[in-house]
Amino acid sequence: MDAVTSAPKGTLSPEKPKLENKKLKAFKENAPFLIMIFPAVLVVFLFNYMPIYGVLIAFQDFMPGDKILSPDTIWVGFENFQRFFSDPQFWPLMKNTFLICIYGFIIGFPLPILVSLMLNSLKGKKTAKFLQTIFTAPHFISLVVLVGMLTLFFGRYGLVNNIVAHGGGERYSYFLETGAFRPLYILSSNWQDFGWSAVIYIAALSNVDPQQHEAAILDGATRFQRVIHVDLPAIMPMISVMLIMSIGGLMGVGYEKALLMQTDGNLAVSELISTYVYKRGLTGVPDQAYATAIGLFNSIINVVLLVIANTTSKKFSENSLW
Amino acid sequence: MSEVILKGLKKVYDNKVTAVHDVNLDIADKEFIVLVGPSGCGKSTTLRMVAGLEEISDGELYIDGRLVNDVAPKDRDIAMVFQNYALYPHMTVYDNLAFALKLRKTPKAEIDRKVREVAEILDITQYLERKPKALSGGQRQRVAIGRAMVRDPKVFLMDEPLSNLDAKLRNQMRAEIIKLRSRIDTTFMYVTHDQTEAMTLGDRIVIMKDGYVNQIGTPQEVFNKPVNLFVAGFIGMPVMNFFDNCKLLKENGKYIAEIRGVKFVLSEFQQKALTQNQVEPCDIVAGIRPQHVTVGEGELSAMIEVSEMMGSEYNIHARCEGDEVVMLIPTIDLTADVSMGKMVNFTTRPNLIQLFDKASGNNLIWYDADSAAKDAPVCKRYDF
Repeated sequence: MDAVTSAPKGTLSPEKPKLENKKLKAFKENAPFLIMIFPAVLVVFLFNYMPIYGVLIAFQDFMPGDKILSPDTIWVGFENFQRFFSDPQFWPLMKNTFLICIYGFIIGFPLPILVSLMLNSLKGKKTAKFLQTIFTAPHFISLVVLVGMLTLFFGRYGLVNNIVAHGGGERYSYFLETGAFRPLYILSSNWQDFGWSAVIYIAALSNVDPQQHEAAILDGATRFQRVIHVDLPAIMPMISVMLIMSIGGLMGVGYEKALLMQTDGNLAVSELISTYVYKRGLTGVPDQAYATAIGLFNSIINVVLLVIANTTSKKFSENSLW
Repeated sequence: MSEVILKGLKKVYDNKVTAVHDVNLDIADKEFIVLVGPSGCGKSTTLRMVAGLEEISDGELYIDGRLVNDVAPKDRDIAMVFQNYALYPHMTVYDNLAFALKLRKTPKAEIDRKVREVAEILDITQYLERKPKALSGGQRQRVAIGRAMVRDPKVFLMDEPLSNLDAKLRNQMRAEIIKLRSRIDTTFMYVTHDQTEAMTLGDRIVIMKDGYVNQIGTPQEVFNKPVNLFVAGFIGMPVMNFFDNCKLLKENGKYIAEIRGVKFVLSEFQQKALTQNQVEPCDIVAGIRPQHVTVGEGELSAMIEVSEMMGSEYNIHARCEGDEVVMLIPTIDLTADVSMGKMVNFTTRPNLIQLFDKASGNNLIWYDADSAAKDAPVCKRYDF
């Protein structure tokens, strides 16, 4: 005879209520924190997840005023994407966006690291604080004001041209020439943001154990060697995370500044995916389905880059986003 | 030769706070000297001035006969072990050990030989390829010591190297340091706030308080001949028993200590020393070490509050006319009933009584005005 008898159907095993109690207890313990985090979750859901519903129009023959989901919806599959790939603007847009982003990344990613290391190495902490404030301040200038400043400095009758003309040189139309757009765009962006971006590294550097520096001094390390052997390794996890995030957002350049700096003269290099999406989706005769398809394509590139960067970082270092 | 001489060393910070006052210390070649004192007494600052990590405000520092006040830390030929180990987290143990040698452009073969030799001594060879985070606290401390050892420094500085370890590991590492000291023949300066570490490790102990050196002596000297109430209270575990409001009397030409109405005729040596020091009868604080108390005899009496059987000895906490008295009695010598609430008689040998001037806190026999730090504040506290 089988000595093992199973519990009659419908009865709970003794462990189950225990487990439920545990979960309830954990929930009660975490309740204050869950309440605190709820507004943030709500904002992310409303403004980041809800709009995802709208990407459906990338697969529709959508006209302004149509409902996204209705019996009359005309599904067109990947037609909008195919239109973009065969658009004569496709390659120029890809090239312009990629170049702006990659140049910006090459200059803009290491700059805050170098600045933070430099500020951290300064002997006078008051000087460091002062410089940090000076470097951070441009971040709070609005894009419109920034582009206004660029016009004042680099416009045909701006400060730079006035100095050049005063010296007998020719005036140069920085905003009308294709050659000046990228340097102006990238350098001004970096000028505006390097101090702000350095804050996160400065915070990471403040956690470096001072005894490590003292040990390095006794070991005979110079100031530069201490930066290389103590400071830099200390912020390496932060650099990895920021690198992954930067690569993930590499093609995500915004449209506002490019649009503000755009002229007929520099359109060949200043037309980016984002400005094109804006123009096709919101100006003239709006083609929102097409604009959404381009935007979605751009986002997919970013996701792919993020995954590649994260996987690579995970493989070669101990740092990754997930 | 790696003699270290501190001549009137002083540290004044920018905010005018004086952390170290006039430290004079001659450390002999291969001597193990321990700087001990409570937090903020200036022991670490003194060590850091020797290391070159703090600027010397005044005074002179000689290492191996060379004035090094303005010499860079790396050129002083010293090595330091830090409290938090200060290992480079991104480097392996091997690279941590080799780092200083690499910076000095030592040939690779020699670096390898030295690193492996030191790793062998410290028993960390098997961890050479690991990173510090994969090591236990004790292993990290060995690596920190090894990093200092590979450089063959003239002076070995240690700033509370065992403070981050648990009690068991600390005892173990203390023994390791004693063994290590016999293997590496160099001068040691060791900072700690733990008097047990100081007593067990040091050839001589420098006891500091409020930036002043209170006493310099061998462990036996500072234990048996404390110059003031602070040293008496700081050195020794359990802490010395202090009896306030006692009197030093002179009857028939003999000095007598009166403690709670009981008179102790002092020993010949004490008589001689007090006479030599021209001590007049005065109010005193009497000090008796817990180890020097005898229970079950004598005229002093106390009520037992706590009686702890520790195996080989009893640790008794009693109250004698308001004063807490701790007695450490070997179990084998105990005849009296020491259960809680009992009244017991106790006494001590008069030659073991320490006599402190109530006004100055100085030991009436052992305080030497000539060798004492000038302008040091009067120490009247003994409730350490």
